[in-house]
Amino acid sequence: MTAAHDAVGRSVLAARDVGKRFGETTALRGVSLEVRAGEVLGLIGANGAGKSTLTKILSGTEAPTSGVVEVRGESVRLASAEQARAAGIETVHQDVDAALVPDATVAENLALPLLVAGGLGRFPSRRRIRQAAERIAADRLSGIELDAPVAELGVSDRQRVLIARGLASDPAVLVLDEPTAALSVDEQQVLHATVRRLAASGTAIVFITHHLGETVAVCDRVVALRDGTVAGEFVAPLDPARLAAAILGGLAAPEALGAAAAPEGPSVLDVVGARTRPDGPLIELHVRRGEVLGITGLLGAGKTELLEQLAGVRPIEAGTVALDGQPFRPAHPADAILAGVGFVPEDRARAAEVPGWTIADSLTLPDLRRYRRGPWLSRRAEDRAASDVIRALGVICSGPRAAIESLSGGNRQKVVVGRWLAAGSRLLVLDEPFRGVDIGARADIARLVRRTDAAATVVASSDPEEILEVADRVLVMADGGIVGEVDPRAVDAETLADIMTRPPRRLETV
Amino acid sequence: MTRLAEPGPAPGDVLPAARVPEGKRRTPLACVRDAVFRYGLLILLVALIVLFAVTQPAFFTVFNGLSILLSVAVVAIVALGVTISMSVDGFDLSVGSNVSFTVMLTAASLVYWGLGPVLSLLIGLAAGTAIGLLNGLLIVVARVPDMLATLGTMFVFAGASLLITAGQSIANGAGYAGATPRGSFTEAFTWFGQGDVLGVPVPVIVLVVVTVAVIVFLARTRAGRLLRAVGGNREAARLAGAHVGRLRVLAYVVSGFLAGLGGVLLTARLGRGDVNVGADYLLQAVSAALIGFAVLGANRPNAFGTVVGAVFVGVVLNGLTMVNAPYYAQDFVQGLLLVGALVVSFSALFNRKARA
Repeated sequence: MTAAHDAVGRSVLAARDVGKRFGETTALRGVSLEVRAGEVLGLIGANGAGKSTLTKILSGTEAPTSGVVEVRGESVRLASAEQARAAGIETVHQDVDAALVPDATVAENLALPLLVAGGLGRFPSRRRIRQAAERIAADRLSGIELDAPVAELGVSDRQRVLIARGLASDPAVLVLDEPTAALSVDEQQVLHATVRRLAASGTAIVFITHHLGETVAVCDRVVALRDGTVAGEFVAPLDPARLAAAILGGLAAPEALGAAAAPEGPSVLDVVGARTRPDGPLIELHVRRGEVLGITGLLGAGKTELLEQLAGVRPIEAGTVALDGQPFRPAHPADAILAGVGFVPEDRARAAEVPGWTIADSLTLPDLRRYRRGPWLSRRAEDRAASDVIRALGVICSGPRAAIESLSGGNRQKVVVGRWLAAGSRLLVLDEPFRGVDIGARADIARLVRRTDAAATVVASSDPEEILEVADRVLVMADGGIVGEVDPRAVDAETLADIMTRPPRRLETV
Repeated sequence: MTRLAEPGPAPGDVLPAARVPEGKRRTPLACVRDAVFRYGLLILLVALIVLFAVTQPAFFTVFNGLSILLSVAVVAIVALGVTISMSVDGFDLSVGSNVSFTVMLTAASLVYWGLGPVLSLLIGLAAGTAIGLLNGLLIVVARVPDMLATLGTMFVFAGASLLITAGQSIANGAGYAGATPRGSFTEAFTWFGQGDVLGVPVPVIVLVVVTVAVIVFLARTRAGRLLRAVGGNREAARLAGAHVGRLRVLAYVVSGFLAGLGGVLLTARLGRGDVNVGADYLLQAVSAALIGFAVLGANRPNAFGTVVGAVFVGVVLNGLTMVNAPYYAQDFVQGLLLVGALVVSFSALFNRKARA
């Protein structure tokens, strides 16, 4: 079965009234949709709307409780990813690293499914692996060295490897689960082009994403899920506002939260002569009380390196940093926290959460002294603080003692941001706080950041849309330095994306 | 400001309890599995106590209960130390050698050097603590991986305990290399191991105090919470301001102190310093801590579980002895118990999280 055999427009994969229950929880209640050859079907929805459950059912990793999955009109039972693959459905999951062996070479990773299936014989030689890999890579992996270990590749190249491997079996349907979550703007555009090209060659694509703007760029049709049902189906040309209304249910899309006139408060953070690397360009920036300073730029522009210096995560390379006018030189995150700096790292699961902990414990971790009564921690005080944050940020959970793992991604991020609310931080430093967060939660977090008059905020994001939505002022970084400053009221996302991708070394002001 | 600006859930987010992590529909079988995961070990413990009590009238008496606790006191105290090193995601292989070393050093202080009970006891505790500190520094400052560092010190202090006495055991009247002994195991010292307060043996009292202290330390103090954060996610703990290095050293220092305390109690109980007497305590303590994973479905190092684990082993061995099971069957039974507890903790058969 190959994609070429399916006439464009023919239904190759369909869900008919699919329901899924987990115990007393209903994740999907009767979802029907069709994926047709040669089209890109967008699947959107807030966290918890049922996107990932539906994805798992389509890719064979979960069985539906009711309803059927049909491949080319025939009802099938997909009991495993292997069976789905045999039926012509290939899935590239969000977490690319889970599907790759980091120490093995690109070639070995490409040939892995073949190797497992026995297609290379019992004693495959290096040469046969390499040949098989070359066949799989075809012309899809230009610029990637087949003999390089996967660990040396960037996220976007790893994803290209994975997609190339998925296409080796010439699937009729390619399911891409949040494929752009970790990509920079230009990498996203490359991926979009790839997706369009694949669709043009007859493959049906299911494209799951949080980004409404992205669906407009790549999808022919969009199915919006809300509350486990199909909330709307849209055909190109797509209108992001209507998509947002569909997934949020009656609520208007969060408009840019209305940047107030530049705050006149006292300076909270003054950075002069800093660098993101020893030989990097000098950086100067100032943030006033009540102000939200956005920092954007492509991956590798130096955003994280700059933010981590402010948070004491890495030593300050050069220059002087002052917090509320006092010299500030944190040698450890603890110093930064004591000085009133709250840091939300880029990778929540790896760097912010402790597995198995409750919401309350996760919230109070950076600031346990506050909850001591004599030598003991007061559970009551902790629960009270957690309840306050849960209310302020609209965290959807069963209470302060709920396990952090029982929350959706957006709500987990609210907890991580909420820590610093509870700790009363004066400067919030947020590194990609909206990654993998649905737009409802994104709006809640953005609102919190904007509302706190007592604090100043530095927020980094490589997504121009997000940064324009949340920031009063946006600095553009490239190659370790600041290359421009824009007023979010004066530019749109496309213009900003343009500035980000322009060759650096020119200071601009829009 | 749009309507979204109001606090509270956006309707798109309201999926009632879609966040409950249960993987499967709750069939009766699943409930039984969950019950086994949580309470299986405690139920088995109660069942065994009932069984032994019915078949052996002498089993279910206050005296026998205390003697079981007395028999596991040293193991349980050492195991609590192991639990603390495990809770920072470390592993202290040197606790057995630590016991051996503190036993010999305490005995030598008493008998060879005649330093008296109080000073000897303090020397023993200090030595245990110092070994823990050394482990911590090797691991944190010299960056040797936990298991390897403590494997090394395990040999070093097993050897050092022999060096103290040139390989001889120490009993009353023994002198180093022919010299006359300057002191002896006085009653004031052996009271710590053999005495009682209102009928309760001193080591049992020490065990109760240490257990409560460790439970409260891990659950209710800032340092304890931070230790568990370090064990759960080291990077997250660091970014939340925890001084990870210091906390890891602290964990090994406490582990060493408790092994030293175990060593001192053992010396007092035996009334002599036997060569290599601590060797057995490493595996006994580790297995108690691991059995503890299965108590109340904790599936992680926990002080209460560790003590239950140690007592469980004590009950089983005591009961088996009463029903005249051969002594050489003890390891076998203990091994079965450990394997069973580990399966309950980790297997997807019982642990719902492992099924994901």
